[in-house]
Amino acid sequence: MTKSTKPGQIPAPEAVEASIKKAVDRALSRNIPGLALQQANLDLDVGQTPKEVVYTRDSMRLYHYHAMTPEIYRVPVLIVMSPVARGYILDLAKGQSFIEYLLLQGYDVYLMDWVPPRREHAHLGMRDFALTLLDESIAQVQQDSGEQEVSLIGYCMGGLLAVMNAAIHHDGPIKNLVCFTTPVNAEGMPLYKAWADSDAFDIDRIVDALGIIPGDMVNASIQALRPLQKQANQMQLLNNVENDAFVKASLRFDRWATEQLPIPGELARDMVRDFLRGNLLVKNEYRLDDKLIELGKIHVPFLHVAAEYDHIVPTAASSDLIGLVGSKDKSEIVVRGGHVSLVAGGNAVYRLWPQLDNWLSLRST
Amino acid sequence: MTDEKMNPVALWRDWFVKSEKAWSQALTEMMGDEKFSKGMGRYMQEALHTHRMFSEGMSQYLANLNLPSRSDVLDISDRLGQIEDTLAAIQVELREQRIQIARTTAPHAGDSPSNSARPAKPARTKRPPTSAK
Repeated sequence: MTKSTKPGQIPAPEAVEASIKKAVDRALSRNIPGLALQQANLDLDVGQTPKEVVYTRDSMRLYHYHAMTPEIYRVPVLIVMSPVARGYILDLAKGQSFIEYLLLQGYDVYLMDWVPPRREHAHLGMRDFALTLLDESIAQVQQDSGEQEVSLIGYCMGGLLAVMNAAIHHDGPIKNLVCFTTPVNAEGMPLYKAWADSDAFDIDRIVDALGIIPGDMVNASIQALRPLQKQANQMQLLNNVENDAFVKASLRFDRWATEQLPIPGELARDMVRDFLRGNLLVKNEYRLDDKLIELGKIHVPFLHVAAEYDHIVPTAASSDLIGLVGSKDKSEIVVRGGHVSLVAGGNAVYRLWPQLDNWLSLRST
Repeated sequence: MTDEKMNPVALWRDWFVKSEKAWSQALTEMMGDEKFSKGMGRYMQEALHTHRMFSEGMSQYLANLNLPSRSDVLDISDRLGQIEDTLAAIQVELREQRIQIARTTAPHAGDSPSNSARPAKPARTKRPPTSAK
């Protein structure tokens, strides 16, 4: 290490030389171009917790993770991933994996995950996702685990599917319901609401023309919520280029953020018409299969987790959920952090996940 | 790093990172404006129209050049997806067969678990730690 230089003082030539030599040595040891190489290596190390596929239908995959403890809680946990995002964010890397954390605490974990939908899946709408596919997944978990009761954990739009299902099957097999940053009030998402409300935005024409809404379009709409964040992340990466742990974490996040899944056209149509324009869920007027979704009918123990600085699902879009749900046993945790840091942030393992474990463990026997 | 503190480019990057949220918020508010929303909606419609026009025109042109069109690439993507579906279904079937075999050859009480074709399932008897409340 070179001798430290006080702020404002010009560094000595030998210090500059040593600094350049060190940077060159590090770059060489990483085999230039270091960032590209790191990126290539990272392709292999996401979603590495051992699992088996239990059930598959359309663009849905139901996985069962191998238990990591000799004894597990009686009630299995089914995680419902958002159908517009890749599920590996929940299992990003060893030591930074929400799924691995649950397994180590002794839960029997299943994941309802998604592969990119194809043109033949364009007809899948909210009803298919929230009822058909989720019902079938719950039935498969029941059969595979031998337990009748199942705890649901929904992330983002996965939470939306979970609350819709729980409201319709309020006398069903759901034992506990946990929602991570789940949007229920479109008024809390002003940009998307403004776009959807505009009479020039013709969702029917878009869906009819494209069938499947491309992932790039989904990505662009998410980036519009914070247009300069990507550039800021790149600059932060450059400022921390010598910190290997930072580089790895940043590249993993960046990879996930740019790999948004395409959306089946009918699901996009349902979201724009019923959720964004109509804001029907918060008004208790949303119908699936002619069944009215009344969140007040949910009576199972309920936990909502929100992030204070979430720009994708701001707390204004999710905070009504706790009041709407009819459960007597209900709690909310609002933590500092963003949309993704709840399930993949480095600090979640110390701050948020233990709180979730405390809550869920007492209700999983 | 001390050297980085002297680097004006690094300083500028730091400033950008710190002020990004405010800039982003200003841009997002601008995009939520009614005029912008209308403009974006119209742009989308025009883009779709242009896309359709080009697709129709280009597909014949590409066919004449013996080159694949976007539609051909999507066909291949769909077929690959169908193959992946089939592989996933085979994995499910294999898993079910393995479970079935494990059941039929399940060790009798007192037998070693290693006789089983599948590791014994962990007992569902875990209790919450006493500190949880």
